[in-house]
Parts: sequence; C-alpha cells; structure tokens
Amino acid sequence: MARMKFYCDAERCVECNACVTACKNEHDIPWGVNRRRVVTIKDGEQGERSLSVACMHCSDAPCAMVCPVDCFYTTSDGIVLHDKDICIGCGYCFYACPFGAPQFPESAAFSSRGKMDKCTFCAGGPEDDNSSQETTKYGRNRLAEGKLPLCAEMCSTKALLAGDADVLSSIYRKRVINRGASAFNWGVNFNNSKIQG
Amino acid sequence: MIEYLIKGPLWYFSLAVFCIGVLWQMARIVFAKGKTDLSVARGSASSGAIRNVFSRFVPHREIAAQIRLQVVAGYMFHLGLFALLFFAAPHVHFLEKHLLGFGWTPMPHWAFIVAAQFAFFGLILLWLRRMLNSVSRLISTTDDHITAILTFVVMLTGCLALGKGFHALNLLHFFTVELLMVYFPFSCLMHAFTFIPSRAFTGAWFGRRGIDA
Amino acid sequence: MLDSFRSSILYDVLKLTSTLLLVFMLTAPATAGPGPPKRPDFPQGVSTTNPGNDLWREVRQRDLPVTGTSQVKGVDSGVLINVEGDRWARFRIDNPVRHAPTLLVAVVLVLLAFYVLRGKVGIEGGLSGRMVFRFTDYERSLHWCLAIVFLFLAITGLILLLGRTLMIPLFGHHLFSLIASASKEGHNLFGPIFLVSLLLMLVSFARRNIYEKGDLTWLLKGGGIVGKGHVSGGFFNMGEKSWYWLVILVGLAISISGLILVFPNFGQGRVIMMVSNVVHVFGAIVLIAVSIGHMYLGSIGTEGSSEGMKSGYVDINWAEAHHDRWAKTCHENDEILSAEEFARLQGNPIDSGDATTGAAND
Repeated sequence: MARMKFYCDAERCVECNACVTACKNEHDIPWGVNRRRVVTIKDGEQGERSLSVACMHCSDAPCAMVCPVDCFYTTSDGIVLHDKDICIGCGYCFYACPFGAPQFPESAAFSSRGKMDKCTFCAGGPEDDNSSQETTKYGRNRLAEGKLPLCAEMCSTKALLAGDADVLSSIYRKRVINRGASAFNWGVNFNNSKIQG
Repeated sequence: MIEYLIKGPLWYFSLAVFCIGVLWQMARIVFAKGKTDLSVARGSASSGAIRNVFSRFVPHREIAAQIRLQVVAGYMFHLGLFALLFFAAPHVHFLEKHLLGFGWTPMPHWAFIVAAQFAFFGLILLWLRRMLNSVSRLISTTDDHITAILTFVVMLTGCLALGKGFHALNLLHFFTVELLMVYFPFSCLMHAFTFIPSRAFTGAWFGRRGIDA
Repeated sequence: MLDSFRSSILYDVLKLTSTLLLVFMLTAPATAGPGPPKRPDFPQGVSTTNPGNDLWREVRQRDLPVTGTSQVKGVDSGVLINVEGDRWARFRIDNPVRHAPTLLVAVVLVLLAFYVLRGKVGIEGGLSGRMVFRFTDYERSLHWCLAIVFLFLAITGLILLLGRTLMIPLFGHHLFSLIASASKEGHNLFGPIFLVSLLLMLVSFARRNIYEKGDLTWLLKGGGIVGKGHVSGGFFNMGEKSWYWLVILVGLAISISGLILVFPNFGQGRVIMMVSNVVHVFGAIVLIAVSIGHMYLGSIGTEGSSEGMKSGYVDINWAEAHHDRWAKTCHENDEILSAEEFARLQGNPIDSGDATTGAAND
C-alpha cells in the first residue's frame, strides 16, 4: 500500500506556475479557486525560494479534525479526500489547514462560501471512479487511470514530485547528497561526486 | 417518491387551488351585490377611492404614536417579504423556469439575506405583539395565528435551505410553500390581493358621503 | 504530512550537515573557532549551513511571521504554513467541544437539585391578585423576540459545535449534514437580528439597569434565594441587572465576533477568524449556561415572576418581595390595580365575583 505524498524541491522550483495552470485546466476548476499555488519567499532578495503548495494530504489532518460534519476521509493510499455532499461550507478547514489548501468557490456576505474544494491528489471523490458526478464535483480521477497528479507530472524542472513517499524520499535523498557534496567542493557535481546516493 | 409527489401532483394541485381560489374569491367580491346608496352624492366617489388607497399607507396622526411598533415592524415585514419573494435569485429562477418563462434581474445574495432579516424581524415582532397585547390577543382569530405561523415556517424553511446542494431542504421549503398556497385563498392572506379594492371601496363610500378620512 | 516532511527532508538535510560538520570538527584543529579556519587548503564554504535550514525556519515561521508572495490572489495566499491553525483546531476540540456538554448538563442538574431542595421561591403571603404595571407591549415584544432569536441561535450553534460528536452517531453523516447546513444558514441569517434586538434592548433598558446604592446589600444577602428575609431592590434588582449587563456585553462580543466570521468577503486573515471563533464559542457557552438559570428563575424558580413578561403586570406582593423600592413608588403613585380591574384589562371580566381565578388567568 502506497502512501501518497507531494514534494516540492525549493532548489529547483522556478515559480513558473505551470502546476497551478495545469491543475486548473485538468479539473475545470472555477474562477477564484486555486487548488495549488506557488509561494515565493524573499521575492527579489538574496535567498529567494519558491514552493508549490496544495493539500499535503496530512497523516493527522487538522481539517478532518475540525470539520463539524466530518466530511473528510483518508484513502488506502493516504490521500485526504472530502465528500462535497456532506460539506456545509463553514470554512473551518481553511482556518485549520497549515497550507491554506481548502478553497471556496465564493466568499460572499453571510458566510456564503459554497462547497469546499481542494486538491484531491487527482483522485476524485467518494463517487464511482471517473463517473460524470465525480468529474463535475472533484475533477478528473487520474489515479484511477494509473496516472500521477498532473501538476507533478508536467513540472518542467521536476521540482514538484508526487507519488509514494518512499520513492519520493529516495529521489530527494540522492539530490540532497549530491548537493551536499557540491557544497563542500566547488566544482564537484553529480557525475564526479564520490558519495552518490 | 416523496420528491415526485411534492414536485408533481402536489405542486399542480396547490397551484390550481391557489389560482382558482384567488380568482373565485376576487370574483365573489367584485360581483357581490351591496345596497344601492340612495343618498345624494356630496363628493366624488372615485377621488375618494384613490385618496384612500394611498392615505392608508400612513397611520392616522391621532394613533401614530400608539401603533409605532406595528407600523415599523409591519413595513419591515411586508417590504422584506416582497423583496425576497420577487427578487431573490432562486425565486426569480424558479418563476422563470416553471411559471412565467421570463425572468428579471435578481438581488445580490447579501441583499436577499438582508431582506429576509427585515422580514423575519418584523414578523416575529408583529406576532409577539399580537400575543402580548391583551386587545390584539382577544381580537385575533385562529386564522391569524395559522397564517402568521405558516408564513414564518415557509420563510424559515427557505432560509434553512440557503445552503447549496441540499436537495431535501429545498423540498421541505417547496412543501411548506404548497401548504401556504392551498391555505391562501381561504384565509386573511387574501389581503395581498384585496387590500387595494377594499381600500378603494371604503374610500369611494367615504368620498361619496363627503367624509374626509 | 509535516512530520513525514520533516523526517524525510529536513531530517536528512540536518543529518547530512551534522555528519559532515562532525567530520570537519574532528579533522579541524581544536583552536578552530568563529574566526577563519587556519588551514588555508580547507574549503571556505564549509561553515555555511545548508540554505534549506534558513528556508524551512522561515516557512515554519519559527522566529517571526513570514509572508511570501504568490501569483494566486486570496486570503493569506502568501503564507506557506499557517502555524496557528492546528493549535486552534486542537484547542477547539479539547475545550469547548469536550467540556460544553458537561457544563450545560451540570447547570441543569444544579438547578434541578436546587428546585428539589429549596423548591419554588415563594412570596410571603402569597399572590394578592392586585397588580401593578411593569413592562410595556414593546418591551415585552422585544424581550421575547430576543429570547426566540437567542434560543434559535443557541440550538443551531450547539448543533454545529457538538453535532459531530453527539449527533452523527445517531443520524449518520448525510442526515446530519442536512441538519448542519440548515443550522449554519439559519444561524448566519438570524445572527444580525440578535444584534439588532440586543441594541434595541440596550436602548430600552439601560437606564433602569444602572447599578445603584442598595445593590451591594442584595449581593451580600445572596439575592434572597439562599437565605431568608427581604432583600432590597429597585425596578430591577442586583441579580437582574447583572444578567442584563452580561447579556449586553457578552452578547455584543458574540455578535461582533460573529459578524467577523460571517463576512469572509472582507478578506480577514485566518488568525482573526480563529480568534473570533474562540471568542464566539466561549461567549455563547457562558451566555447559554447563564440563560438556563434565567429561564429557571423566570418560570418555575420564582413565584409570580413570569407574569411580568406575559401580561406586563406583576403582583404587588411579588414586587414588594423582590423590588421593594420600586413597589414603594408604585404605592406612592397609587398605581395598583385591583384583581377585577386587571382581569377587565386582560379581557377576562369577572362575572360572579370569583376574583382569584380571573386574576390567575393570563
């Protein structure tokens, strides 16, 4: 059983926002809702880094803890999904989420927010896989088709990775080790490094 | 099953009862034979009628101070109800789709809620005053209480159904509306249609007799 | 996710850095301090920490709140990690959700025990049937309007707060979701009506509820409920005044925090929303708990007290027992109605001299 995770490599992300666009396009997300966003820290200063964030599919998700109608559930792949038939649009998950992932189609007066929408790890919702209902409510279910989330699949610098946590961490471990080596000896790179992961 | 019943037969039944009932009641009033007024006219009946239709919108000066609560709460309720009945987006869409075939610009969501708040506040105050003032309580009939409660329930179910995507709550609202429509022609709710003719009738009578009221 | 994030990345980075630093320290001379390394052949970049460290310290907002920029516009969209959210969620579960039912049940039990032990607080000499005017139609309408709206808000609010633990096991997710959606929409619509009623209440009753000289004595004597004997009170006694100001102040706090929560269109940040939520929930629970006491005292707890808010008239013996200073002015102004007169005003004229039943009728 896999444990699905996103990972964004801050040393590689170039803030192209293609993940945001790809996600919006793939799932036909309404105007104003962004399941994924790229945040840049120290924009224009030394040490500028960008990170693409969406729902991080927490193991102990604060949104699920705080939801007054208990609409969240975790799949066997460790993906945190929610049931839009149950969601009442109260906004509590948005307050609780560490990553600001829950989005609402509107934020009108008298707390008229509509049903919450968030990253599904391209895994749809509780309805039948890729049924028209699922597609309207949650967007496409790529995981059911054996594909990984589109944001990571099309990331040009491979900064954003999606998949099983073990695979992701081994990829990242290699990257870090090679970067660590190059930090010690200027000119040492992936090819000539002796401590390859 | 329940959905079919509420959106099908019950809806057509209540619509029919409402339309036929209102027409029948209005016809009864229009064709009612009153006593012929044999007196010599001292003033114009038509000008009296028109004047009375409008003058009744403001309370009489002598009693204005005593009925301030009813006037303020009454206007809040009626204007709020009118606005939310005819200009709330779901209502406009419903009328366009199922009854009229044409629609008009609805109010924004927040204005709809504010109108509903005015209507609720007015209705609650009016009904409480009806219950708490000893004179109003004595002259209130069962019909008055049923209409007040039924209107409140219709408005309440409507406000509870504001959340999008909860079909059962919409059905509940729809059902209470059907109850109201069936009850409407046989109750004092008919004042929605009769208040102008009745004011005009009284005004014409007053006008003919030269009463300045 | 955070944990695994940390374990997979930050942990690895730190482990690597520290290992390498250890290797460096073992090979470096003991005198190597903050100054430049003495061996010129050793690489200069060694003492620089991994840039990832600084980044993650900022992302986790360890030192100070850091806001980045994002092309995506939205509330707090530049904040990478909302550090307060999890704390708020846990606080909400551990405090109001866990303890509110206990508190409310305890209040009911205490009142029940009080009723069983002490019984109804009676009036010396019973009700006389002679009435004195106390509240106008408008004042009573306002009171009951506030009461109805408050009860509706309390019930819908408690459903939203406690429904997940108490109602989902009973109704299941889908039915409860209907109830919760109805509660949420109703709560949001009726909230502002509560505020307006509250402000009208403030205007109508504030002057009579200003604390005055005799009020401290009332408090010291326990309001006449605990001990025996008369306690002095004006138009409103100390207990009523305190309840009034509690309703006004806590009610305003609830209303304002509720308005902050109910208008997300002004784009308040999440921290403001969370603080408002905490204020809202705590204020509401306090008010609900005390209001149960108010309902008890206004109905079965005290003889003759509900009459004032029903007909607007109160028994003169009740007035003398609970509001003696006000009753004295009523006597002075000769405002007391006989039982017959009161019955006539209420529309129940007494035919055959059966005075008591007529007066007891509402």
